[in-house]
Amino acid sequence: MNEILKVTNLSVRFDTPEGLFSAVKNISFDINEGKCLGIVGESGSGKTQTFFSITGLLSNNGACDGSALFKGINLLGKDSKKISKLRGKEIGFIFQDPMTSLTPHMKIGNQMIEALIYHEKTGKREALKKAKDILSIVRMPRIENIMQKYPHELSGGMKQRVMIGISLMCNPSLIIADEPTTALDVTTQKDILNIFNELKLNKNITIALISHDIGVIAEVSDDIMVMNEGKLIEKGSCNQILKEPKKEYTKHLLSCIPEWLN
Amino acid sequence: MNFDLLDRERKEKILKSALSVRGRSLWSDARRRLFKNKAAVTGLIILSIILLFSLFGPLFLQYKFDQTNWDTIYQAPNLQNGHYFGTDGNGRDLLVRILYGGRLSLTIGVIATLVSVFIGVTYGTISGYLGGKIDIVMMRIVEILYAMPYLIFVIILMVVFGRNIYLLFIAIGAVEWLTMARIVRGQTISLKEKEFIETSKALGQSTFLIIVKHIIPNLAGPIIVYITLMVPAVIILESFLSFLGLGVQEPLTSWGVLISEGSRDMETAWWLLIFPGTFMVLTLASLNFIGDGLRDALDPKEY
Amino acid sequence: MIKLIIKRLLVAIPTLIVIIAFVFILMRLAPGGPFTNERALPPEIEKNIQAAYNLDKSIPEQFLIYVSNITKGDFGPSFKYKDFTVNELILSGFPVSLTLGLSSIIVALFLGVFLGTVAGIKRNTYFDHIIMSVSLIGICVPSFVLAPILSLFFGLYLGLLPISGWNNGNILNLILPITALSLPQIAVISRMMRASTIETLNSNFIKTARSKGLSQKIIIRKHVLRESILPIIDYLAPASAGLMTGSIIIEQIFGLPGIGRYFVVGALQRDYTLVSGVMILYATLLIILILFSDILRAFLDPRVKLK
Repeated sequence: MNEILKVTNLSVRFDTPEGLFSAVKNISFDINEGKCLGIVGESGSGKTQTFFSITGLLSNNGACDGSALFKGINLLGKDSKKISKLRGKEIGFIFQDPMTSLTPHMKIGNQMIEALIYHEKTGKREALKKAKDILSIVRMPRIENIMQKYPHELSGGMKQRVMIGISLMCNPSLIIADEPTTALDVTTQKDILNIFNELKLNKNITIALISHDIGVIAEVSDDIMVMNEGKLIEKGSCNQILKEPKKEYTKHLLSCIPEWLN
Repeated sequence: MNFDLLDRERKEKILKSALSVRGRSLWSDARRRLFKNKAAVTGLIILSIILLFSLFGPLFLQYKFDQTNWDTIYQAPNLQNGHYFGTDGNGRDLLVRILYGGRLSLTIGVIATLVSVFIGVTYGTISGYLGGKIDIVMMRIVEILYAMPYLIFVIILMVVFGRNIYLLFIAIGAVEWLTMARIVRGQTISLKEKEFIETSKALGQSTFLIIVKHIIPNLAGPIIVYITLMVPAVIILESFLSFLGLGVQEPLTSWGVLISEGSRDMETAWWLLIFPGTFMVLTLASLNFIGDGLRDALDPKEY
Repeated sequence: MIKLIIKRLLVAIPTLIVIIAFVFILMRLAPGGPFTNERALPPEIEKNIQAAYNLDKSIPEQFLIYVSNITKGDFGPSFKYKDFTVNELILSGFPVSLTLGLSSIIVALFLGVFLGTVAGIKRNTYFDHIIMSVSLIGICVPSFVLAPILSLFFGLYLGLLPISGWNNGNILNLILPITALSLPQIAVISRMMRASTIETLNSNFIKTARSKGLSQKIIIRKHVLRESILPIIDYLAPASAGLMTGSIIIEQIFGLPGIGRYFVVGALQRDYTLVSGVMILYATLLIILILFSDILRAFLDPRVKLK
């Protein structure tokens, strides 16, 4: 199997008023093509910052070192132009809070086609057609109508579908989903996870799914990686981590799921 | 999904230990942050110096603020004869006049601010605490008043009722309370929902007592910040009126009066404009620094 | 949109009536009529004057006459400039004040928004520090201190610009007044704009825009500006009120024959009709401006329409 993303010795630091804060400490992992890696850990365990640093979304006071090879290109390398080309085109991002993640003054349709027009110089009409196709993949109802709406007119679940749609617009090979279901109610959560499963199976898209909820991770992941306080605790296949965890911390995490789920 | 629950508890524990706040109160914490803020400390020092000078300076100077001398008209600053900042068109010593003007400007600033805070706090707490239709009507009135060119109102008040310094306090105070009322109302509404207010209500305390004993003390932070930012605004307002000849009258003086006279005479005597202007600008800057510092210290959301 | 305008008008009209009533009451309460300073006149002439100014009628009657005259756009004769009506005085001053005020607000908006945005994007760089320090000076130096200093320096010492007079709106005559009038507003607007740019840049939807791999330029233009400018739109009316009052002093200092100057002269000489006419004009302008900024806000922010 060939890995699509290979991260080695990644560290992330933040320069805060209270001094340097080390958010991610020297971690290495890789994701195989067409698979889903679940990253689980508590809030503040560094799981989000790991992927922010890889995709150049760290806030201004953050810095990182190490290497992250995406299809052979080092995302942490010097060539920032090439990297921002990859971002949005080859790598899609889905954020935690759909309520605030869409630009409030832009219509849904325009927000969706933006990246496609920018990266691939597609014409507007063609881009809009593609946006409608994508919205049907994420099972959005009343698509024509939705494209003309502003974000505040949609529900949380619909916004998250739009977010997934945006990340899919340029046919990415990797999608990073940061707590995509946390802000949603349970039935919507189920729908969204089903969409992820379909994307993985039907479109061969690689997914990095970040969540604090091991139950969510278990639904879609092939491999699991456990993080705590910026360190990688353990990684392995989904079955191995769930059935025979090696580390105390993982066992502790698992013990928090009620018996009947297992 | 118990995991969610536990996660939250643990998160709180981690947060608490990470903040390493060991029983420090809000105020001592705020003080620490304030004194770390260089601009605010500089402002405090400059303001204290100006205050001390204005209060005690005249005692050590050989001239009186209304002492005219026709032999010393328009003298440039001179260290030998004791007119350190020069003299004006009536031969009066500028330094003494600036210090007296400072007393008056600062007094008006503080008193008018207190008047406006009193009105604003009363109005805001009543509106916020009672809520419902009364709140809607009271806030609509504030909205309407907001739309008025209030400074022009003060001018009209001064025109109609004569140029009286006490009236000046009240007139300025009476137009500057709107923002205060809004802030206090907002805070009161959010405080009203807190448990300790519910408890007092359950214990059968009267509305008035709850407002005085529980709500107003909890508003201390925003009120203090507002006062420090309000005093400079009032000083400007007073100077503005005095500049137009509608404020403080001779032989009393304020910075506004001095700047007004100075700008009339600036072609012959630059010092008459520059010195009072500098004093005023320094005071305004200091107060603004202190106000900004206090706001950041009491509400440290930036970090 | 139409609903919003109607709703605002429903607030605006009573506001205006309240202002007119307030001005009217103050004028009647005023101790000493406009003619008390002059020597005693024979009773008939006194009576004629009273009748000419409607002072012999009852107070409610006077109010009704006053309001109906105002709705016809007639503010009555000036008490002090005996040969002129208030309308004539206002009309002669209005072009001057409008030129001064409009140019100042345009300068203030344009420069304030531009400097604030750049300072917000380049947060904590030298550029940011310089802009913020200069704007602090703009906030702490009131226009009536700044204006004389400007004319002292550029007018008298350097001799570059004329320090007073209208000169038929010559641009050179306007530079100093516009600078003095707009600088405090530039300061306030650039600070607000910086704060709101920083806040917007930190918001989640900008992260989404970044994750699309768009260039910084596009992100700022299409995603940040429309959002970060909203507080400035709300500030438009207070800024204009500030400019109006500021212009009273600036016109005085630079000897410009605008409305502000008539207002001061009227105030000092107790020319009640003149003062109340100017006052009502200012209030009307402000209310129109508030209406305008509300509509602009609704136009820029789709969320407003829901309310």
